[in-house]
Amino acid sequence: MNNVDDLVTIIRDEIGLPITIADTQLPLADVIGWDSVHLLTLCVILERETAQPISLPDVLEASTLQAIFDVAVGAERA
Amino acid sequence: MKTPTVATDAEIVGAPPDHVEETFSDLLELHRSGRLAEHYPAVPGLLYGRSGEDLIRAGRLLARVDPDEILARHPGTTALTVSVVGHGTLAGLVAPLTAELARHGLLARLHLGDFDSYVTDLADHASDLYARRPDLVLCVLNPDLIWSEVPVPWQPDDVERVWAEKLELLEGLVRCFEEASHGVLVMNTAPLSRAHTAQLIDHASRARLGALWREANARLLRLADRHPDLVVVDTDPLLADGVPARDARMSVYAKAYLSAELLAAYAREIGHLARAFTGRARKTLVLDLDGTLWGGVLGDDGKDGIEIGETYRGEAFRSFQRVIRQLGSQGVLLSAVSKNDAETVSEILVNHTDMVLRESDFVRVVANWRPKHDNLRELAADLNLGIDSFVFADDSPYERGLVRRELPEVAVVALDDEPARHVAALLADGWFDLRVLTEEDHERPARYRAEADRHTFLHSFDSLNGYLRELGVRVLLATATDSQINRISQITLRTNQFNLTGGRLQPTAVAALTRDPEALVLGIRCSDRFGDNGLAGAVLAHCEDDLVYIDNFLLSCRVFARGIEQACLSAVLHHARGTGATGVIGRYRETAKNGKVRDFYPQSGFVAIEAPTTAETVFHHDLTEIPPAPDHVELVVQLAGGELL
Repeated sequence: MNNVDDLVTIIRDEIGLPITIADTQLPLADVIGWDSVHLLTLCVILERETAQPISLPDVLEASTLQAIFDVAVGAERA
Repeated sequence: MKTPTVATDAEIVGAPPDHVEETFSDLLELHRSGRLAEHYPAVPGLLYGRSGEDLIRAGRLLARVDPDEILARHPGTTALTVSVVGHGTLAGLVAPLTAELARHGLLARLHLGDFDSYVTDLADHASDLYARRPDLVLCVLNPDLIWSEVPVPWQPDDVERVWAEKLELLEGLVRCFEEASHGVLVMNTAPLSRAHTAQLIDHASRARLGALWREANARLLRLADRHPDLVVVDTDPLLADGVPARDARMSVYAKAYLSAELLAAYAREIGHLARAFTGRARKTLVLDLDGTLWGGVLGDDGKDGIEIGETYRGEAFRSFQRVIRQLGSQGVLLSAVSKNDAETVSEILVNHTDMVLRESDFVRVVANWRPKHDNLRELAADLNLGIDSFVFADDSPYERGLVRRELPEVAVVALDDEPARHVAALLADGWFDLRVLTEEDHERPARYRAEADRHTFLHSFDSLNGYLRELGVRVLLATATDSQINRISQITLRTNQFNLTGGRLQPTAVAALTRDPEALVLGIRCSDRFGDNGLAGAVLAHCEDDLVYIDNFLLSCRVFARGIEQACLSAVLHHARGTGATGVIGRYRETAKNGKVRDFYPQSGFVAIEAPTTAETVFHHDLTEIPPAPDHVELVVQLAGGELL
């Protein structure tokens, strides 16, 4: 996963939500169709994609999709 | 990445690629182009052979599609309303459940209960859960249900006390459910993890905890003995096959107390249950021989060269044969379809000392050099069974591919060149799972074998009438007894062709009808010179004002077209007139399978009284001229214990 575009593709193709790049900057509550359930699914997918464990508490505290990406990529690059 | 062109269902179903990535591309392409609902009938083909994360991935996309849109486009789709309640976060079940039901051609209308609201959902008859009239309610139990109430520090006695309270609560909820719902409630055993047992440092206490935990799960499993609407899924066998019970992080951070893998395995079991629940249990297992029941090629290796018996691989094939025999003993019809010479195969089945399966275990053994799909089609016609009740197991990818291409309705089990894996491959999908097994099931294979004798007998006559006269058909139409309730429910669940309305009734619904003074639940038993066919049909009716309403009329495909249905209908009409009724109402509701009984009522003097809709036609019989029972049928009628005719 190189950039936030990849995250958008994952959410569109794996979770099925038709989000755009602009949605990655919105508070999660404002992303249409998003709910906390998707967060758990996304964690599992991101761990698979990055082949790295991700801190669940950090992801659960993230307020935007961009912030989730940063946590995931941070783990990958650490 | 390959970008497939998604054109028509026929293309997708007609050429199901074997390679999983390709099928996912097709599904993904349908999702991306917003056409999953449009192509929903193609989904089982696209999900063929998928499991694990790959299937869940598909389930996530399918769960995004509005079930109403699918039903609007494909009104014939069987939809099941499924409510998921329980302790903890259960959202992880949505994708696997959606996918598992879709694999079997079913559509899930899923409702997830609020977090931890299962007690009020199930106890309150006015809850939203009951208002939705669910077909299945999954009350998902997990270890935290107990551990969250165990104090710290704790002893095994504390755990025992909490379990006792929970079991009492759960049984109370089952009773509430029985009063409020006609569906099926599913619970499950709760796994015990080392994360808990190892907290006790002495082995004596650990053993006590292990024992009391299993006793509690056993009591939960036994609840199903007393409550016919309850199914308890035993999670132990799933865990024993290597599925982890929990994921520590998900458990702590997300209150998801069962692992994603366990939820997926559980969803698979629910898929099998849903299939049985909707009359989709398979009935016939068709087996290849070379490489499937024995190792090697009979035609090349000869009867002394095939692998069966005392060698390593020979033992593996014997184990597989034992499992097949076990399935056969429960009413699964066994058949062999093999590219071999018939005499050579017969010689093995009769005389090879190491074979477990014998010729008498099979309802048919077809050994010839024709394409297998032609043999399967003929076999279905011969047994008078739908081809969609067949499961076909073969170790040859070529044969499997051809059968899948030519007969997409057949469930195809992929065996490989490792016979030790055959058992797991065959049993993975619970193809033959039923809610309840009845006495009839044990007799079924013998009855189908007798059917072969009838065919031979039929061919010795010039006319069908001559055959029927000599067949000596005897029919008993009688009020159903309590011991027949499960079988009558099973007839409604299994019978697709001679099922006038397509209606299905679970055992408790049949039991309720037998207690209703206005309702008639009649069983049809029949026999002939070749043997007893057992309880092979049912008539469900009720009286209202001065009319008798036949709510459904069902007859096993083994026995129809022998005058039995006309004899029974005639008896019902006579009974109606005898009780002072002025007419009888019958309904025909078209399904995908029951076209051949469309004219059953009009052929017996009924007249359509409502303009037929695409869904249903209502017929009336004025009881002035009642067609007699065919004279080759010896009919006895016993209603409520009295012999009336």
